[in-house]
Amino acid sequence: MKNIKLVFSNIAYIILAGMIFFGMLIPLLMLSEFIFVEPFFTFHIPSEQVFGFVLILAVSVMSAIVIPMNVYRIRILQKSTSKIGGGILGSIIGASAGICSCGPFGFALISTFGAAAGTATAFLSNYEILLRLGSAGILCLVYYTTTKSISSECKIN
Amino acid sequence: MEKRIILLAVFAAMVGVIILVGSSYYSTLMVMQENRVNVSGPAPINLTNGSPLLGSPSAPITIVEFGDYQCEACYHWYHNTRADIIDNYVETGKANLVFLDLPFLGRDSITAAQATYCADDQGKYWEYHETLYNFQEAIDNGWASKDRLVAFASNLDMNVDEFNDCMDGKKYVKRVKANYDESQRLGADATPTFLIISPDGKIKKITSAQPYSVFSQVIEPML
Repeated sequence: MKNIKLVFSNIAYIILAGMIFFGMLIPLLMLSEFIFVEPFFTFHIPSEQVFGFVLILAVSVMSAIVIPMNVYRIRILQKSTSKIGGGILGSIIGASAGICSCGPFGFALISTFGAAAGTATAFLSNYEILLRLGSAGILCLVYYTTTKSISSECKIN
Repeated sequence: MEKRIILLAVFAAMVGVIILVGSSYYSTLMVMQENRVNVSGPAPINLTNGSPLLGSPSAPITIVEFGDYQCEACYHWYHNTRADIIDNYVETGKANLVFLDLPFLGRDSITAAQATYCADDQGKYWEYHETLYNFQEAIDNGWASKDRLVAFASNLDMNVDEFNDCMDGKKYVKRVKANYDESQRLGADATPTFLIISPDGKIKKITSAQPYSVFSQVIEPML
């Protein structure tokens, strides 16, 4: 918790976290078809998809915490970029999981790349929950190693 | 150094994919805009290859659904929204419903669509349609394989030999293809896509499994 306070005591990191959170959350909710903009703006969570929505929220929140912490680590403590790779990987997995293959994005992907894209989107769609859980797991691990790293490096410094 | 090269390659590949998909989506949008002009006149949609009409032929509003039997969003719409539309608009004679196939998600999507017309030959189109949306599983995992499609027909007390002949003879390949082509002519780029046709021939489009309230807000002013 101290590490979070340390990083987010700087307004720039709060802004970065906000940008990452909303930058992930809104497109993900649109791609997963929780938000519709036509013919009216509509926000709708079917009861059987509540868990999927919670996972999108969790991945967005964790990405918004983990990535700025790693940026802090790299910029302030001049450490290697290895951990931010894990954070970005976790975010990408979480973002790509469950993109509705029936939606315009899936349709464009399948129309462009054919059967291979069909298989890929089917995989993302079929294993949506597992992939998002995996993504949250990666982000938790990166959070743990990052806080440990910041603690020890700040003590030394 | 190697890591950076790999990261750069991954980034470049992702940008490439995004550009390709984006350009494909853009061209679809352009087609949709062109078609919007074409669909503004009365009765511009060819429904002859679609499902039997559900509801009264004299209903003032027609709802056209473009769907894929393997589409999860279609499943959600079927189970969350459709019943309210049937109760409030179709059964009251205010609207009728036609289903047109847009099978793009997998190989079994096409055979499942063909199977519905083989069921229609025995007067069980809508029962078969309902069965497919009740038993939907993951895309191309075998739930809509030929054997399962025959089993569904058998469970609906259909003549299995007749159904098999229809499927093996590929009787409805062209019909399903015609529906797919019609969906593309009208710019449907997702499933489910709905076209709500008003009494004066004006069309409103609803994309994806939107809730009942959205349909209600579109339909009510047309009545």
